[in-house]
Amino acid sequence: MNTLGIGASLFRLATKQKAFIAILVMLVIMVFSGTEFYTAYNLLDMLNSTSILLILAFGVTLTIISGGCDLSIGGILVVSGILAIKLMDYMALSWAIFLAVLFGAVVGAINGFLVVHQRTEPFIITLGTGFLLTGVAQQLTNAHPVPAKNPAFMMIGNGTVHGIPNLVIITVVLFVLFFWLMRYTQFGRNLYAIGGDYEVALYSGINVIRTKWLAFVISGAAAGLAGVLLSAKLNTGSSIYGELTALVVNCGVVVGGTSFAGGIGGIPQSALGLLVFGMLDNVMNMLTITSYIQVLLKGAVIVAIIWLDCFGQKRRRETV
Amino acid sequence: MNTQVINRAIKGTGSVLREYLVLVMIAVLAAITAIVEPKFVSGANLVNIMRQFGPLIMVSLGMTFVILGNFIDLSVAGTINLVAVVTISLIQPFGQIPALLMGLTLGALCGALNSVVILTSGALTQAEALFLTFGMSTVYSAIALLYSGGTTMHFWDITKSKSVFEAIGSGSIGPISISFVIFLVLLAALWIFQSQTKEGRAIRLTGGNKTAARLAGVRIKRSIVVIYTIGGFMAGVGAIVLFSRITTAAPVIGAGYETNAILSVVVGGTTLKGGKGSVLRTVMGVLLIILMSNCLDLLGVSTYLQVAVKGAILVFAIWLDNRKQV
Repeated sequence: MNTLGIGASLFRLATKQKAFIAILVMLVIMVFSGTEFYTAYNLLDMLNSTSILLILAFGVTLTIISGGCDLSIGGILVVSGILAIKLMDYMALSWAIFLAVLFGAVVGAINGFLVVHQRTEPFIITLGTGFLLTGVAQQLTNAHPVPAKNPAFMMIGNGTVHGIPNLVIITVVLFVLFFWLMRYTQFGRNLYAIGGDYEVALYSGINVIRTKWLAFVISGAAAGLAGVLLSAKLNTGSSIYGELTALVVNCGVVVGGTSFAGGIGGIPQSALGLLVFGMLDNVMNMLTITSYIQVLLKGAVIVAIIWLDCFGQKRRRETV
Repeated sequence: MNTQVINRAIKGTGSVLREYLVLVMIAVLAAITAIVEPKFVSGANLVNIMRQFGPLIMVSLGMTFVILGNFIDLSVAGTINLVAVVTISLIQPFGQIPALLMGLTLGALCGALNSVVILTSGALTQAEALFLTFGMSTVYSAIALLYSGGTTMHFWDITKSKSVFEAIGSGSIGPISISFVIFLVLLAALWIFQSQTKEGRAIRLTGGNKTAARLAGVRIKRSIVVIYTIGGFMAGVGAIVLFSRITTAAPVIGAGYETNAILSVVVGGTTLKGGKGSVLRTVMGVLLIILMSNCLDLLGVSTYLQVAVKGAILVFAIWLDNRKQV
């Protein structure tokens, strides 16, 4: 083989499996770092702190596969977390949590209406609803953190079962659920079809509007649940957590290999993509890198990976 | 034949109304506020409104070109952070005029770097540009944090003359503030660039339809470099006006400017689909937002609720923008 061929195939591998390669690189670096990275405690802790982002990513993956994206999840995350804490004072805990998740689903339904029915550009309209919800969250809390008074609520986010944190268990259950939804149900397959080619899906008799709409509702509900769990974990609701979360999660999904072009990707890929960010945080903390450098590295990783995604698409366009 | 003319006239009025909805809204809002709160039309309040044509309008004017070209720029927040801390720190060693020029150059360079990232990756859609520029914003903010060590820099720490910045921040010629004069000069320059030059028309064509523009001989790559450079330069101007006004520069002062700038451009009526719009429309968009804040302030609405109202208006404006196309 000539070197050009090897270079091209290496490049293809890098663009396709970028998340996997990134994780591999970090794992290898950590072998030689001499830190306590490879301990059950640390690995569980890493999963635990990534769990909220993972739950958000599962929902967002659906919208991205259908050819859209959802930037309102940051807003939903904070508002539903605050709602759960505020409602707890007036009703049973389970009702408060249910209503907070329902709120996420309703926002998702509104997003879906605007995107699918009114055919607005998904990224900009969800950026708008996210902005709106940030304002709502600030108004609800006066921009101060609100503490939760119910100890049972805190246990949801901080308890463990046989040493495994609750959040990790919830995330694994949701992972299986979403994986099944996307792989083995008609709804999941229809979403891939819609993202792959909207017109073809339409003429094949798929109810494109309802299916795509449902993707946004599920994304909103997942964000609502993530908001509740985040509040439970921190035992407070605050309007500041959501600011960059939406963009980071959407980037993470793309990092995993789910493309903005739609129709490609899946739940396992998104999980891998978000783990890159979770592991990056953990590794940088282990290596005691200062926080400003951490911000810099994270930004560089985002640019590099989205750049690769676009570049890969350009290559594909040119070869076709 | 007569009915035809009338029909056309009605249709015409409808589309004109929709086209200039922002003007109608400005008039209505001003009228309502003036009735509810007579203080609104006082000279002091008018000067106050004029003073608010500050950093946001500068950033929004630059953002107009990016959106005209059917792209988007989330990096202005990072650019503002970086330009503010670098410029303020250069006053002491180099003097104020070189610091000012270097700050503006840095802003333009940040914008040019964005366009390089976008061009080399081959990103064509707004969504791709959104995430790329978000990543760049994080990088610029991190550099600003590293450069300043995370501390806020104050004017009073500078022993050298800083009269130019003080003039930009709080000086005025008669009742007209100097920042307003700067705004008018830049607006005139950008308006001439947009409507009277070949490059300005090229940007519009690029935004309207990239393939058609390329086939018609427009150098779209050059247009992309130009729009992002203008966007970065204007973010730099915004940063300088901002820190001159508050006399301090923290590495986080740019937060929120990207969303607000997009908001004012879209509310003004420049379409996100690219190719249609104008800097003059953006001025109306900003004026509407300023009037709205002013009105809500006078009515005693909390700042937090105002963010929610702004968000609602943004969603409505995007929806309306989309309706116009269909």
